[in-house]
Amino acid sequence: MRPLLLALAVASVAPAKETLVQPKETLADVARRTLGSPEAASELKAINHLETDSVAAGTRLLLPGQERDLALGAIASAKSAVHQATLGAARTEASARLADAERLLSSARYQEAAAQADGAWKLVSQRLEDPSHFAIQVADDGTTRVHVDSGIPVRVEAEGRTRAVSPGETVLVRRGEAPGVPSGPSGPQGQGVLEAPVLLSPSPNLHLALDPKGKGVGPLRLSWRAVAGARGYLVELKGPSPQTLRTTHAEASFPSVLTGSYRWSVRALGIEGALGPSAERSLDVSSGNIKLEVQPPDWK
Amino acid sequence: MALCLTLLAAGDACRKSPPAGPADASPLPLARATLQHLKGTVSVKRAAADDWTAASEGMALLENDTVQTGARASAQVRFPNGSSVVVGEEALIGIAETGGSPGRDRTDLTVRRGTVDATLETPTTQDLSVGTPAATVRAGREIVFQ
Repeated sequence: MRPLLLALAVASVAPAKETLVQPKETLADVARRTLGSPEAASELKAINHLETDSVAAGTRLLLPGQERDLALGAIASAKSAVHQATLGAARTEASARLADAERLLSSARYQEAAAQADGAWKLVSQRLEDPSHFAIQVADDGTTRVHVDSGIPVRVEAEGRTRAVSPGETVLVRRGEAPGVPSGPSGPQGQGVLEAPVLLSPSPNLHLALDPKGKGVGPLRLSWRAVAGARGYLVELKGPSPQTLRTTHAEASFPSVLTGSYRWSVRALGIEGALGPSAERSLDVSSGNIKLEVQPPDWK
Repeated sequence: MALCLTLLAAGDACRKSPPAGPADASPLPLARATLQHLKGTVSVKRAAADDWTAASEGMALLENDTVQTGARASAQVRFPNGSSVVVGEEALIGIAETGGSPGRDRTDLTVRRGTVDATLETPTTQDLSVGTPAATVRAGREIVFQ
Protein backbone atom coordinates (compact mmCIF):
# COMPACT_ATOMS: atom_id res chain seq x y z
CA MET A 1 0.00 0.00 0.00
CA ARG A 2 2.79 2.38 0.90
CA PRO A 3 4.31 2.68 -2.59
CA LEU A 4 0.91 3.58 -4.06
CA LEU A 5 0.22 6.24 -1.47
CA LEU A 6 3.72 7.52 -1.95
CA ALA A 7 3.19 7.63 -5.70
CA LEU A 8 0.04 9.69 -5.25
CA ALA A 9 1.77 11.97 -2.82
CA VAL A 10 4.61 12.43 -5.25
CA ALA A 11 2.17 13.00 -8.09
CA SER A 12 0.54 15.80 -6.20
CA VAL A 13 3.70 17.68 -5.37
CA ALA A 14 6.20 16.46 -7.93
CA PRO A 15 8.05 19.28 -9.63
CA ALA A 16 7.31 19.29 -13.27
CA LYS A 17 9.54 19.05 -16.26
CA GLU A 18 10.86 22.15 -17.93
CA THR A 19 10.91 23.48 -21.44
CA LEU A 20 12.89 26.19 -23.15
CA VAL A 21 10.97 28.83 -25.08
CA GLN A 22 12.04 28.75 -28.71
CA PRO A 23 12.59 31.87 -30.84
CA LYS A 24 9.35 33.50 -32.00
CA GLU A 25 7.25 31.21 -29.76
CA THR A 26 4.30 32.65 -27.90
CA LEU A 27 3.01 31.19 -24.66
CA ALA A 28 0.16 29.61 -26.64
CA ASP A 29 2.73 28.01 -28.96
CA VAL A 30 4.59 26.56 -25.98
CA ALA A 31 1.32 25.28 -24.53
CA ARG A 32 0.42 23.63 -27.83
CA ARG A 33 3.88 22.07 -28.13
CA THR A 34 4.15 20.80 -24.57
CA LEU A 35 0.57 20.28 -23.38
CA GLY A 36 -1.21 19.68 -26.67
CA SER A 37 -3.47 22.72 -26.54
CA PRO A 38 -2.91 26.48 -26.90
CA GLU A 39 -5.68 26.97 -24.34
CA ALA A 40 -3.33 25.58 -21.69
CA ALA A 41 -1.29 28.81 -21.94
CA SER A 42 -3.14 30.08 -18.88
CA GLU A 43 -1.86 27.08 -16.93
CA LEU A 44 1.73 27.81 -17.93
CA LYS A 45 1.20 31.41 -16.97
CA ALA A 46 -0.05 30.41 -13.51
CA ILE A 47 2.62 27.79 -12.87
CA ASN A 48 5.42 30.14 -13.86
CA HIS A 49 3.91 33.21 -12.19
CA LEU A 50 4.00 35.19 -15.41
CA GLU A 51 2.46 38.63 -15.49
CA THR A 52 1.82 38.75 -19.23
CA ASP A 53 1.37 36.37 -22.16
CA SER A 54 4.63 37.40 -23.79
CA VAL A 55 7.67 35.34 -22.98
CA ALA A 56 11.21 35.79 -24.24
CA ALA A 57 13.01 33.14 -26.23
CA GLY A 58 15.36 31.14 -24.07
CA THR A 59 13.14 31.43 -21.00
CA ARG A 60 12.96 28.21 -19.03
CA LEU A 61 9.34 27.35 -18.17
CA LEU A 62 8.09 24.81 -15.68
CA LEU A 63 5.56 22.29 -17.01
CA PRO A 64 2.81 20.61 -14.99
CA GLY A 65 3.35 17.06 -13.83
CA GLN A 66 1.16 14.01 -13.46
CA GLU A 67 -1.35 15.89 -11.33
CA ARG A 68 -2.57 17.63 -14.50
CA ASP A 69 -3.28 14.28 -16.18
CA LEU A 70 -5.23 13.14 -13.15
CA ALA A 71 -7.26 16.33 -13.11
CA LEU A 72 -7.96 16.02 -16.83
CA GLY A 73 -9.06 12.43 -16.32
CA ALA A 74 -11.41 13.41 -13.50
CA ILE A 75 -12.91 16.19 -15.61
CA ALA A 76 -13.36 13.84 -18.59
CA SER A 77 -15.18 11.33 -16.37
CA ALA A 78 -17.38 14.04 -14.89
CA LYS A 79 -18.19 15.47 -18.33
CA SER A 80 -19.23 12.07 -19.55
CA ALA A 81 -21.44 11.49 -16.51
CA VAL A 82 -23.02 14.97 -16.71
CA HIS A 83 -23.67 14.53 -20.41
CA GLN A 84 -25.59 11.33 -19.77
CA ALA A 85 -27.44 12.49 -16.69
CA THR A 86 -31.12 13.26 -16.87
CA LEU A 87 -32.17 16.87 -16.45
CA GLY A 88 -32.68 17.92 -12.87
CA ALA A 89 -31.22 19.69 -9.91
CA ALA A 90 -28.36 17.22 -9.60
CA ARG A 91 -27.31 17.80 -13.19
CA THR A 92 -27.50 21.58 -12.80
CA GLU A 93 -25.36 21.43 -9.68
CA ALA A 94 -22.94 19.01 -11.35
CA SER A 95 -22.63 21.27 -14.40
CA ALA A 96 -21.76 24.19 -12.15
CA ARG A 97 -19.13 22.15 -10.36
CA LEU A 98 -17.72 20.97 -13.66
CA ALA A 99 -17.42 24.56 -14.90
CA ASP A 100 -15.65 25.38 -11.67
CA ALA A 101 -13.30 22.43 -12.17
CA GLU A 102 -12.38 23.70 -15.63
CA ARG A 103 -11.77 27.18 -14.27
CA LEU A 104 -9.48 25.77 -11.59
CA LEU A 105 -7.68 23.71 -14.22
CA SER A 106 -7.01 26.78 -16.33
CA SER A 107 -5.30 28.39 -13.36
CA ALA A 108 -3.24 25.25 -12.73
CA ARG A 109 -5.01 24.42 -9.45
CA TYR A 110 -5.08 20.77 -10.39
CA GLN A 111 -5.93 19.17 -7.07
CA GLU A 112 -8.88 21.47 -6.52
CA ALA A 113 -10.00 20.92 -10.12
CA ALA A 114 -9.91 17.16 -9.62
CA ALA A 115 -11.86 17.42 -6.37
CA GLN A 116 -14.57 19.57 -7.99
CA ALA A 117 -14.83 17.22 -10.96
CA ASP A 118 -15.03 14.29 -8.59
CA GLY A 119 -17.91 15.99 -6.78
CA ALA A 120 -19.72 16.60 -10.07
CA TRP A 121 -19.25 12.99 -11.03
CA LYS A 122 -20.71 11.75 -7.75
CA LEU A 123 -23.77 13.98 -8.11
CA VAL A 124 -24.91 12.57 -11.43
CA SER A 125 -23.62 9.02 -11.50
CA GLN A 126 -26.84 7.20 -10.90
CA ARG A 127 -25.71 3.77 -12.00
CA LEU A 128 -22.70 3.62 -9.75
CA GLU A 129 -23.93 0.58 -7.90
CA ASP A 130 -24.61 -1.42 -11.04
CA PRO A 131 -21.88 -3.93 -11.84
CA SER A 132 -19.80 -2.92 -14.81
CA HIS A 133 -19.34 -5.44 -17.61
CA PHE A 134 -17.34 -4.86 -20.74
CA ALA A 135 -15.41 -6.88 -23.31
CA ILE A 136 -12.10 -6.14 -25.01
CA GLN A 137 -11.14 -7.94 -28.20
CA VAL A 138 -7.65 -7.61 -29.69
CA ALA A 139 -7.07 -8.80 -33.24
CA ASP A 140 -3.74 -10.10 -34.52
CA ASP A 141 -2.87 -6.67 -35.93
CA GLY A 142 -3.54 -5.03 -32.56
CA THR A 143 -6.87 -3.52 -33.57
CA THR A 144 -8.90 -3.23 -30.40
CA ARG A 145 -12.65 -3.40 -30.00
CA VAL A 146 -14.28 -2.41 -26.72
CA HIS A 147 -17.92 -3.21 -26.06
CA VAL A 148 -19.65 -2.11 -22.86
CA ASP A 149 -22.53 -4.32 -21.76
CA SER A 150 -23.61 -2.57 -18.57
CA GLY A 151 -22.61 -0.25 -15.76
CA ILE A 152 -20.91 3.11 -15.94
CA PRO A 153 -19.12 4.28 -19.10
CA VAL A 154 -15.65 2.95 -19.83
CA ARG A 155 -12.90 5.32 -20.97
CA VAL A 156 -10.90 4.34 -24.03
CA GLU A 157 -7.69 6.28 -24.61
CA ALA A 158 -5.40 6.27 -27.63
CA GLU A 159 -3.11 8.79 -29.28
CA GLY A 160 -3.93 11.42 -26.66
CA ARG A 161 -7.68 11.19 -27.14
CA THR A 162 -10.24 9.72 -24.76
CA ARG A 163 -13.68 8.40 -25.66
CA ALA A 164 -16.34 7.48 -23.14
CA VAL A 165 -18.09 4.28 -24.18
CA SER A 166 -21.52 3.83 -22.62
CA PRO A 167 -23.47 0.60 -22.08
CA GLY A 168 -24.62 -0.84 -25.40
CA GLU A 169 -21.87 0.96 -27.31
CA THR A 170 -18.83 -0.38 -29.12
CA VAL A 171 -15.69 1.46 -30.10
CA LEU A 172 -12.94 0.38 -32.46
CA VAL A 173 -9.33 1.53 -32.13
CA ARG A 174 -6.76 0.83 -34.81
CA ARG A 175 -3.09 0.88 -33.93
CA GLY A 176 -1.65 4.39 -34.11
CA GLU A 177 -5.07 6.00 -34.41
CA ALA A 178 -7.40 7.76 -31.99
CA PRO A 179 -10.52 5.87 -30.85
CA GLY A 180 -13.35 5.91 -33.38
CA VAL A 181 -16.82 7.21 -32.66
CA PRO A 182 -18.68 4.74 -30.42
CA SER A 183 -21.52 2.97 -32.17
CA GLY A 184 -24.80 2.98 -30.31
CA PRO A 185 -27.17 0.05 -29.98
CA SER A 186 -29.32 1.56 -32.72
CA GLY A 187 -27.05 4.31 -34.01
CA PRO A 188 -26.31 4.83 -37.67
CA GLN A 189 -22.61 4.47 -37.02
CA GLY A 190 -23.06 0.79 -36.31
CA GLN A 191 -22.05 -0.16 -39.79
CA GLY A 192 -18.77 1.72 -39.46
CA VAL A 193 -17.66 -0.55 -36.67
CA LEU A 194 -18.12 -3.81 -38.51
CA GLU A 195 -15.01 -5.16 -40.14
CA ALA A 196 -14.55 -7.28 -43.21
CA PRO A 197 -14.56 -10.94 -42.20
CA VAL A 198 -11.26 -12.80 -42.43
CA LEU A 199 -11.92 -15.65 -44.85
CA LEU A 200 -10.59 -18.98 -43.67
CA SER A 201 -11.60 -21.82 -45.98
CA PRO A 202 -11.26 -22.69 -48.83
CA SER A 203 -7.81 -21.14 -49.31
CA PRO A 204 -7.40 -18.53 -52.07
CA ASN A 205 -7.60 -19.88 -55.65
CA LEU A 206 -8.03 -23.42 -54.44
CA HIS A 207 -9.08 -26.06 -56.95
CA LEU A 208 -11.79 -27.92 -55.10
CA ALA A 209 -12.96 -31.38 -56.21
CA LEU A 210 -16.43 -32.16 -54.84
CA ASP A 211 -18.73 -35.15 -55.07
CA PRO A 212 -21.43 -35.14 -57.76
CA LYS A 213 -24.70 -33.88 -56.37
CA GLY A 214 -27.71 -33.58 -58.68
CA LYS A 215 -26.71 -31.61 -61.74
CA GLY A 216 -23.68 -30.20 -60.03
CA VAL A 217 -21.31 -31.02 -57.21
CA GLY A 218 -21.38 -30.39 -53.49
CA PRO A 219 -21.54 -29.52 -50.78
CA LEU A 220 -19.41 -26.39 -51.03
CA ARG A 221 -18.47 -25.33 -47.52
CA LEU A 222 -17.11 -21.86 -46.74
CA SER A 223 -15.87 -20.50 -43.43
CA TRP A 224 -14.50 -17.24 -42.03
CA ARG A 225 -13.55 -15.71 -38.73
CA ALA A 226 -16.48 -14.31 -36.76
CA VAL A 227 -16.76 -10.52 -36.72
CA ALA A 228 -17.40 -8.90 -33.34
CA GLY A 229 -20.73 -7.11 -33.26
CA ALA A 230 -22.07 -8.93 -36.31
CA ARG A 231 -25.68 -10.09 -36.14
CA GLY A 232 -25.20 -12.34 -39.14
CA TYR A 233 -23.45 -12.64 -42.48
CA LEU A 234 -24.37 -12.20 -46.11
CA VAL A 235 -22.61 -14.75 -48.29
CA GLU A 236 -22.54 -14.36 -52.04
CA LEU A 237 -21.32 -16.87 -54.57
CA LYS A 238 -20.62 -15.47 -58.06
CA GLY A 239 -20.01 -17.88 -60.94
CA PRO A 240 -21.78 -20.55 -62.99
CA SER A 241 -24.47 -21.01 -60.33
CA PRO A 242 -24.71 -17.71 -58.40
CA GLN A 243 -26.29 -17.97 -54.95
CA THR A 244 -26.75 -15.71 -51.94
CA LEU A 245 -27.55 -16.72 -48.41
CA ARG A 246 -27.75 -15.26 -44.93
CA THR A 247 -26.40 -17.04 -41.92
CA THR A 248 -25.81 -16.30 -38.28
CA HIS A 249 -22.73 -18.56 -38.09
CA ALA A 250 -19.24 -17.96 -39.41
CA GLU A 251 -19.71 -20.68 -41.99
CA ALA A 252 -21.98 -21.49 -44.90
CA SER A 253 -22.72 -24.54 -46.99
CA PHE A 254 -24.10 -24.65 -50.53
CA PRO A 255 -25.54 -28.15 -51.11
CA SER A 256 -24.96 -28.17 -54.85
CA VAL A 257 -23.14 -25.90 -57.31
CA LEU A 258 -22.20 -26.22 -60.95
CA THR A 259 -18.56 -26.79 -61.69
CA GLY A 260 -16.48 -23.80 -62.78
CA SER A 261 -14.69 -20.73 -61.45
CA TYR A 262 -16.27 -18.77 -58.62
CA ARG A 263 -15.71 -15.73 -56.48
CA TRP A 264 -17.23 -15.82 -53.02
CA SER A 265 -17.69 -12.91 -50.68
CA VAL A 266 -18.84 -12.45 -47.09
CA ARG A 267 -20.12 -9.28 -45.40
CA ALA A 268 -21.02 -8.91 -41.75
CA LEU A 269 -24.56 -7.78 -41.01
CA GLY A 270 -24.91 -5.14 -38.33
CA ILE A 271 -27.83 -3.75 -36.42
CA GLU A 272 -30.89 -2.96 -38.55
CA GLY A 273 -29.34 -4.72 -41.53
CA ALA A 274 -26.29 -2.48 -41.86
CA LEU A 275 -23.64 -4.17 -43.96
CA GLY A 276 -19.94 -4.20 -43.19
CA PRO A 277 -17.20 -4.25 -45.82
CA SER A 278 -16.81 -7.27 -48.03
CA ALA A 279 -14.06 -9.88 -48.10
CA GLU A 280 -13.74 -11.80 -51.35
CA ARG A 281 -11.86 -14.81 -52.64
CA SER A 282 -11.67 -17.05 -55.78
CA LEU A 283 -11.93 -20.79 -56.13
CA ASP A 284 -12.42 -23.41 -58.82
CA VAL A 285 -14.93 -26.18 -58.36
CA SER A 286 -14.74 -29.45 -60.26
CA SER A 287 -16.15 -32.91 -59.94
CA GLY A 288 -14.19 -35.22 -57.76
CA ASN A 289 -15.81 -38.27 -59.38
CA ILE A 290 -12.94 -40.17 -60.91
CA LYS A 291 -13.91 -42.39 -63.84
CA LEU A 292 -12.27 -45.75 -63.66
CA GLU A 293 -12.15 -47.59 -66.96
CA VAL A 294 -11.07 -51.17 -66.54
CA GLN A 295 -10.02 -52.84 -69.75
CA PRO A 296 -10.92 -56.52 -70.12
CA PRO A 297 -7.81 -58.60 -69.73
CA ASP A 298 -6.20 -60.09 -72.82
CA TRP A 299 -5.83 -63.47 -71.19
CA LYS A 300 -8.58 -65.96 -70.47
CA MET B 1 -10.84 7.94 1.41
CA ALA B 2 -12.23 5.69 -1.26
CA LEU B 3 -8.71 5.02 -2.43
CA CYS B 4 -7.58 4.15 1.08
CA LEU B 5 -10.51 1.79 1.52
CA THR B 6 -9.72 0.19 -1.80
CA LEU B 7 -6.13 -0.24 -0.83
CA LEU B 8 -7.04 -1.58 2.58
CA ALA B 9 -9.40 -4.06 0.97
CA ALA B 10 -6.67 -5.03 -1.41
CA GLY B 11 -4.12 -5.30 1.33
CA ASP B 12 -4.64 -8.93 2.27
CA ALA B 13 -4.59 -10.08 -1.29
CA CYS B 14 -1.56 -7.92 -2.00
CA ARG B 15 0.34 -9.56 0.81
CA LYS B 16 -0.23 -13.00 -0.65
CA SER B 17 2.89 -14.35 -2.18
CA PRO B 18 3.72 -17.26 -4.45
CA PRO B 19 4.78 -20.57 -2.91
CA ALA B 20 7.87 -20.03 -0.86
CA GLY B 21 11.14 -21.00 -2.51
CA PRO B 22 14.62 -21.17 -1.05
CA ALA B 23 15.47 -18.60 1.59
CA ASP B 24 16.28 -15.31 -0.04
CA ALA B 25 17.15 -11.97 1.45
CA SER B 26 15.22 -10.07 -1.23
CA PRO B 27 11.54 -9.33 -0.49
CA LEU B 28 8.96 -11.61 -2.09
CA PRO B 29 7.19 -10.06 -5.06
CA LEU B 30 3.59 -9.01 -4.53
CA ALA B 31 0.78 -10.98 -6.09
CA ARG B 32 -0.94 -8.75 -8.62
CA ALA B 33 -3.76 -11.16 -9.40
CA THR B 34 -4.98 -14.71 -8.94
CA LEU B 35 -5.78 -17.25 -11.62
CA GLN B 36 -9.08 -19.12 -11.19
CA HIS B 37 -11.65 -21.27 -12.99
CA LEU B 38 -9.17 -22.79 -15.40
CA LYS B 39 -10.58 -24.60 -18.39
CA GLY B 40 -8.53 -26.30 -21.10
CA THR B 41 -4.88 -25.53 -21.69
CA VAL B 42 -3.75 -22.47 -19.76
CA SER B 43 -0.04 -21.65 -19.49
CA VAL B 44 1.91 -19.11 -17.49
CA LYS B 45 5.33 -17.65 -18.16
CA ARG B 46 6.92 -15.99 -15.17
CA ALA B 47 8.62 -12.66 -15.75
CA ALA B 48 12.02 -14.10 -14.96
CA ALA B 49 11.50 -17.42 -16.71
CA ASP B 50 12.05 -18.49 -20.29
CA ASP B 51 9.64 -21.39 -20.33
CA TRP B 52 5.89 -21.75 -20.18
CA THR B 53 4.45 -23.86 -17.40
CA ALA B 54 0.96 -25.22 -16.91
CA ALA B 55 -1.22 -22.92 -14.83
CA SER B 56 -2.83 -24.16 -11.65
CA GLU B 57 -6.02 -23.19 -9.84
CA GLY B 58 -5.45 -20.31 -7.43
CA MET B 59 -2.04 -19.51 -8.84
CA ALA B 60 -0.71 -16.09 -7.84
CA LEU B 61 0.23 -13.89 -10.77
CA LEU B 62 3.07 -11.47 -10.36
CA GLU B 63 4.16 -8.33 -12.14
CA ASN B 64 5.14 -8.98 -15.76
CA ASP B 65 3.84 -12.57 -15.78
CA THR B 66 2.24 -13.69 -19.02
CA VAL B 67 -0.79 -15.96 -19.39
CA GLN B 68 -1.73 -17.83 -22.53
CA THR B 69 -4.87 -19.83 -23.27
CA GLY B 70 -5.22 -22.52 -25.90
CA ALA B 71 -8.10 -23.41 -28.17
CA ARG B 72 -11.40 -23.75 -26.27
CA ALA B 73 -9.60 -22.76 -23.07
CA SER B 74 -10.43 -19.99 -20.62
CA ALA B 75 -9.41 -18.67 -17.22
CA GLN B 76 -10.45 -15.99 -14.79
CA VAL B 77 -7.95 -13.44 -13.52
CA ARG B 78 -9.08 -11.87 -10.26
CA PHE B 79 -7.44 -8.69 -8.98
CA PRO B 80 -7.03 -7.77 -5.31
CA ASN B 81 -9.69 -5.05 -5.47
CA GLY B 82 -12.30 -7.61 -6.58
CA SER B 83 -12.41 -6.75 -10.27
CA SER B 84 -11.91 -9.68 -12.60
CA VAL B 85 -11.54 -10.64 -16.24
CA VAL B 86 -12.38 -13.88 -17.99
CA VAL B 87 -9.73 -14.61 -20.58
CA GLY B 88 -11.12 -16.31 -23.65
CA GLU B 89 -9.56 -18.91 -25.90
CA GLU B 90 -6.29 -18.36 -27.76
CA ALA B 91 -5.52 -15.21 -25.83
CA LEU B 92 -2.24 -13.78 -24.62
CA ILE B 93 -2.21 -11.38 -21.69
CA GLY B 94 0.36 -9.74 -19.43
CA ILE B 95 -0.02 -8.82 -15.76
CA ALA B 96 0.84 -5.30 -14.54
CA GLU B 97 3.57 -4.98 -17.12
CA THR B 98 6.37 -2.49 -16.67
CA GLY B 99 8.33 -1.07 -19.55
CA GLY B 100 5.34 -0.87 -21.85
CA SER B 101 4.92 1.61 -24.66
CA PRO B 102 6.58 5.00 -24.08
CA GLY B 103 4.20 7.56 -22.67
CA ARG B 104 1.76 4.95 -21.44
CA ASP B 105 0.98 4.38 -17.79
CA ARG B 106 1.27 0.91 -16.40
CA THR B 107 -1.99 -0.98 -16.59
CA ASP B 108 -3.35 -3.82 -14.46
CA LEU B 109 -3.54 -6.04 -17.49
CA THR B 110 -2.25 -6.04 -21.05
CA VAL B 111 -4.19 -7.91 -23.72
CA ARG B 112 -1.91 -8.66 -26.63
CA ARG B 113 -4.26 -11.03 -28.41
CA GLY B 114 -7.73 -12.49 -27.91
CA THR B 115 -10.78 -11.49 -25.93
CA VAL B 116 -11.30 -10.69 -22.27
CA ASP B 117 -14.62 -10.07 -20.50
CA ALA B 118 -14.19 -7.74 -17.56
CA THR B 119 -16.42 -7.31 -14.51
CA LEU B 120 -16.39 -4.71 -11.76
CA GLU B 121 -19.00 -5.72 -9.22
CA THR B 122 -18.84 -2.38 -7.39
CA PRO B 123 -17.44 0.25 -9.74
CA THR B 124 -17.60 2.84 -6.93
CA THR B 125 -14.72 1.18 -5.16
CA GLN B 126 -13.02 -0.74 -7.95
CA ASP B 127 -11.09 0.26 -10.99
CA LEU B 128 -9.38 -1.63 -13.76
CA SER B 129 -7.04 -0.50 -16.48
CA VAL B 130 -6.35 -2.66 -19.51
CA GLY B 131 -3.71 -1.94 -22.12
CA THR B 132 -3.77 -3.25 -25.68
CA PRO B 133 -1.44 -2.59 -28.62
CA ALA B 134 -3.83 0.15 -29.76
CA ALA B 135 -5.44 1.65 -26.67
CA THR B 136 -5.80 1.88 -22.91
CA VAL B 137 -9.18 1.04 -21.43
CA ARG B 138 -10.07 2.35 -17.98
CA ALA B 139 -13.13 1.39 -16.00
CA GLY B 140 -14.48 2.22 -12.56
CA ARG B 141 -13.51 5.03 -10.29
CA GLU B 142 -10.77 7.44 -11.23
CA ILE B 143 -8.07 7.54 -8.57
CA VAL B 144 -7.84 11.22 -7.88
CA PHE B 145 -6.68 13.14 -4.87
CA GLN B 146 -8.75 11.41 -2.23
